[in-house]
Amino acid sequence: MQRPWWQRLLLSAWVRPVLLVLVLLVAWDLTIRLFRIPPYLIPSPWSVVQQLGAEWPRLLKESIPTTYATLGGFALSIAFGIPMALVIAYSRTVESFVYPLLVFSQSVPKIAIAPLFVVWFGFGIIPKVIAAFMLGFFPVVVSTVMGFKSVDPDMLDLARSMKASRIETFMRISLPQALPSIFAGLKVSITLAVVGAVVGEFVGSNSGIGYLLQIANGNFDLPLMFAALTVLSAIGVVLFVAIDVVERWLIPWHASQRIDVAATA
Amino acid sequence: MIRRLMLLGAALALAATPAFGQGKDKVVLLLNWYVYSEHAPLFLGKARGYFEQEGIDLDIQEGRGSGVTVQAVAAGTANVGYADVPTMIKAASKGAPVIAVGVALQTSPMSVMGFADRNIRKPADIKGKTVAVTPGDSMSQIWPLFLKKTGLKDSDFKTVSGDAQTKLNAVINNQADLLLGYVMDQAIKLQDAVHKPVYPIRFADHGVNMVSSGFIVQKDYLKEKPDVVKRFLRAATKSLEEAAKNPEAAVDAMLAAKPKSGVKETALVGMKNTAALYKGPDNPKDRPLRVGRKNMDETLALLVEYGGLDKASAGKAGDYYTNEYLP
Repeated sequence: MQRPWWQRLLLSAWVRPVLLVLVLLVAWDLTIRLFRIPPYLIPSPWSVVQQLGAEWPRLLKESIPTTYATLGGFALSIAFGIPMALVIAYSRTVESFVYPLLVFSQSVPKIAIAPLFVVWFGFGIIPKVIAAFMLGFFPVVVSTVMGFKSVDPDMLDLARSMKASRIETFMRISLPQALPSIFAGLKVSITLAVVGAVVGEFVGSNSGIGYLLQIANGNFDLPLMFAALTVLSAIGVVLFVAIDVVERWLIPWHASQRIDVAATA
Repeated sequence: MIRRLMLLGAALALAATPAFGQGKDKVVLLLNWYVYSEHAPLFLGKARGYFEQEGIDLDIQEGRGSGVTVQAVAAGTANVGYADVPTMIKAASKGAPVIAVGVALQTSPMSVMGFADRNIRKPADIKGKTVAVTPGDSMSQIWPLFLKKTGLKDSDFKTVSGDAQTKLNAVINNQADLLLGYVMDQAIKLQDAVHKPVYPIRFADHGVNMVSSGFIVQKDYLKEKPDVVKRFLRAATKSLEEAAKNPEAAVDAMLAAKPKSGVKETALVGMKNTAALYKGPDNPKDRPLRVGRKNMDETLALLVEYGGLDKASAGKAGDYYTNEYLP
């Protein structure tokens, strides 16, 4: 039976979050009106939307360096995180040495040491990339280690009994089985990398969304501040979706993707 | 047992009653920043009992920037704020119900400074150098006016931006030659870090004048407790006067209360530099905290022209301060 168009529209995956956002915006506006929250504490959603419109060229311009820093930090997270996770997953000795230290380092608040990055690496893009890397790196390692450790041992036995080489076993069994959890880690990583890039921009930068946030804050321009935060979140969403698309393309066979297929059928 | 419980309850209730404690009014004062030499007079006043004599139980809290302090006072989280008055004016023009009841620094402490051995003594020396600024803060906004008054152009020097700590780090590590800072704050911090003298070029010496830190209160609080505000300001005025006369005692009182807030030698310099800013250019004979009308008018005009204050909502200087509650 064909559902009416509006029901189909309501059911489509991308409309739902938009609807929720609209509901939240209305709730936000109502809260401000009901409790008479003054604009210097929380701006109204409409003033944020207006500011988004008015400052659009500037927001777009400042989002470019932030996106670069995020992607740079994310690339570093992959380049260092995945090989490190491989070594940890395949060697108990390395794991016992490195893993506790890694957890320890993760508990260091990055914002506390971020000012030092500027001292060490100057005012360019490098301190921001490193801040993004510091935040984005850990989830990649943890979920990659988990992915490789949870490869089905029966499958490995099978491969061995069929005299598959180590490379073949890795490429045909371990890696494909680990990919879903690697991607789970990458998705967490990219959203944290955005935060890291902004932390880097807070402490020392001539451009970027973090720089704009600082200026807005200094002028009590809360609408601009929230507009900048909106753009920042949008960057996070776009990058997240990009990884999701790559994931679907690489592992269309995985259970998490199959559910979607079953639902639309 | 029930009786004991009731007794305990009564004791707790008594302890919780604000009147308990010799009928003093508790005043929470939120500073603009972590304690440094500029705040020493308040600790002197507290140590010598000036506030107590006025029936005020003063609780001094450290802040995280004037903006946050203004918001906290506007929201009623703190009774009195010690904050940058121009910052307060910006918040008030956006609807924050706050007003300055006494302006402590009536000559601007803003300056551009570097280590003395770099020989940057006058504005022309800035040419070709690197200046560290914090985007959006009050100094970075007034900086263009200083440049205009001294005939410098943006292209004459390099700028690097960062937060408060990065600015200091940049100069300490030679990533920048100069930073925009306050004569009694960053100048002292730089000296403490490297043990080298710092030479500040004051904005005020080049025709840029603007008031700075002052005491601010919520308008409702002022209406409800005018008497508390008056007594507080009486004690504060006395504290500032005594600290100016005896800076060493003020610094000692501050270091006794907050041992980590500085090093005696340099904090003393900071305190003296602070006291030098208590008088504005238009009222050399007034007691501290009493600000001149012309000074406030000029400040507001500068904020409209350079500080991002909307002209339509700026109003007049009289909307933002009052001298009525001062002794």
